[in-house]
Amino acid sequence: MAVIQVEHLVKDYKIAKKGKGLKGAVKNLITNEKQVIHAVRDLNFEIEKGEIVAFIGPNGAGKSTTVKMMSGILTPTSGQVLINGKNSQKNRKEVVQDLGVVFGQRSQLNWDLRLGESFELLRHIYQIDKKQYEENLEIMNDILGINEIINTPVRQLSLGQRMRGDLVAAMLHSPSVLFLDEPTIGLDVDGKYAIRKFIKEINQVKGTTVILTTHDLGDIQELCERLIIINHGVLIEDGPLNELIDRIAPYKNLIVEFYDETCVKHPKAELFFHEENIGKYRFMKKDITAAQLIQEISEQIAIKDVTIEEATIDDIIRIAYHKE
Amino acid sequence: MNRARGSAYFYVYKTRILKSLAYRFDVYGNIVMQCITMFASAFFWKALYAGQETVQGVNVEDMLVYTVMSSLMSVVFMTGIERRVMQSVKKGTVATDMLKPINLFSIYFFEDLGNMTALIVQNMIPIFIIGSLCIAVPKPVSMEAFLLFFISLIMAFFINWFLAACFSMWTFTAINMDPMLQVKKHLIRLLSGSIIPMWFFPDWLSNILNLLPFVYIYQLPLDIYIGKYETAELLPRLGIQFIWTVVLFGVFQFLQSRVTKKVMVQGG
Repeated sequence: MAVIQVEHLVKDYKIAKKGKGLKGAVKNLITNEKQVIHAVRDLNFEIEKGEIVAFIGPNGAGKSTTVKMMSGILTPTSGQVLINGKNSQKNRKEVVQDLGVVFGQRSQLNWDLRLGESFELLRHIYQIDKKQYEENLEIMNDILGINEIINTPVRQLSLGQRMRGDLVAAMLHSPSVLFLDEPTIGLDVDGKYAIRKFIKEINQVKGTTVILTTHDLGDIQELCERLIIINHGVLIEDGPLNELIDRIAPYKNLIVEFYDETCVKHPKAELFFHEENIGKYRFMKKDITAAQLIQEISEQIAIKDVTIEEATIDDIIRIAYHKE
Repeated sequence: MNRARGSAYFYVYKTRILKSLAYRFDVYGNIVMQCITMFASAFFWKALYAGQETVQGVNVEDMLVYTVMSSLMSVVFMTGIERRVMQSVKKGTVATDMLKPINLFSIYFFEDLGNMTALIVQNMIPIFIIGSLCIAVPKPVSMEAFLLFFISLIMAFFINWFLAACFSMWTFTAINMDPMLQVKKHLIRLLSGSIIPMWFFPDWLSNILNLLPFVYIYQLPLDIYIGKYETAELLPRLGIQFIWTVVLFGVFQFLQSRVTKKVMVQGG
């Protein structure tokens, strides 16, 4: 059974429509015009146990809104989210006990307390068994080096340290589902590396299902087998990263450097550029492999050098965003 | 609150005491501030009573006890919930805090309770000593009066906290609460009889104020302490105090569920 089921999820926000200028200001005092914003429109998907899913989309696409609804902070306008078969609104207390949530831009640690005291408080809140608590801390210390900062007041932590603290805080009660909203935002290379390693590790060791939103394509490449892309509150892509790449960019470019200006054509590749001794071929991955193409060209003419160009993940996602 | 979660509240209470004990500087400031008010009131009453035996059935010694006790009580009535809510709304952590399987406002309550416990040690004792030495030793009129005072004080504490909690819910709609906080603080000081007892107010005004919750924060416990009323006269007043405690608890619960719903619909 799927760990997370999202069914016909819809979220509309009502915001007050403000008139412009003096006339508008006076009008605002009397009437209260509301404007409806459709943040999420009819989302449907399922996430299986142990998956790491990247939830991506441009700014304002409805990612955070969806994550908030999945984690039970936000009430959907209609539709529902089931976590382990339970409705995240109706059985909030039960569902929440099995969720870990990290919002990259908001810390859930108490600023007045030392990091360790924040953890201890969470141990009491989630009723974590003392032995299991210490075991969990131990495992997480191995990956994140949390012991170095455990006695520092949260307000004195750097962003990277705080993020590590937040991750530990979210995983202390061994939830089966972990939501991460932009976990690597603003972090340096080391920080990102530690956090990615941590996510991979808990996924493998504990089988935690991870859903993360991110704008960092490195996160996606390193962590996620599955990608869900939404834009304007609508699901536009859902599938493995490789499949998406194959579908959006089913071609590669082969750039060949010859010894002179003569060049050959090939039936399975389009020669779309030819200048001096450089020729560029575009070929479909399903028609021919790069090795074969190189071999067949070199049978006809001597080749000095080759480069293979592939669409980067950036390109793929940009194309996906703009696709309607 | 179930038994198991109780340990979380107790942990909050305990850490808050330790944190409050660590902030020395705040403490000295508080003591000085409280003493200034206390001395000003004491001099004011001494001047006012010059040549007068009693005013409204209260003599100058009782009035000075009233003043010292009022200063001591103000320590119990310091609340931090308004600022806590304000901060978490500003930082946008309310929604995530509400995600925990525990009641957020109960956490704030135990934080305030921890603060209060620390303040009793750090503020109340020094103010008690200074007040006793320089103004008057605040002795209760009788053991019975002291017990009734204590019961009344507990209810007063809850009335004061629920008022603060209800007030803090405003933070969810208004952006800057600082000026309103000041207004509330001084309004309570004035309307609760903490500085000037109700019996100095015109009858019509004190009759109205007797129906409002404020006088049940300072005035009623203090009246009991200095023996202003007979026990029979006190009971109906304690009754009203109890009713206000329950009513404000109800209002607090209602606002709490409304605010939670609002946060959940509009997002944190």
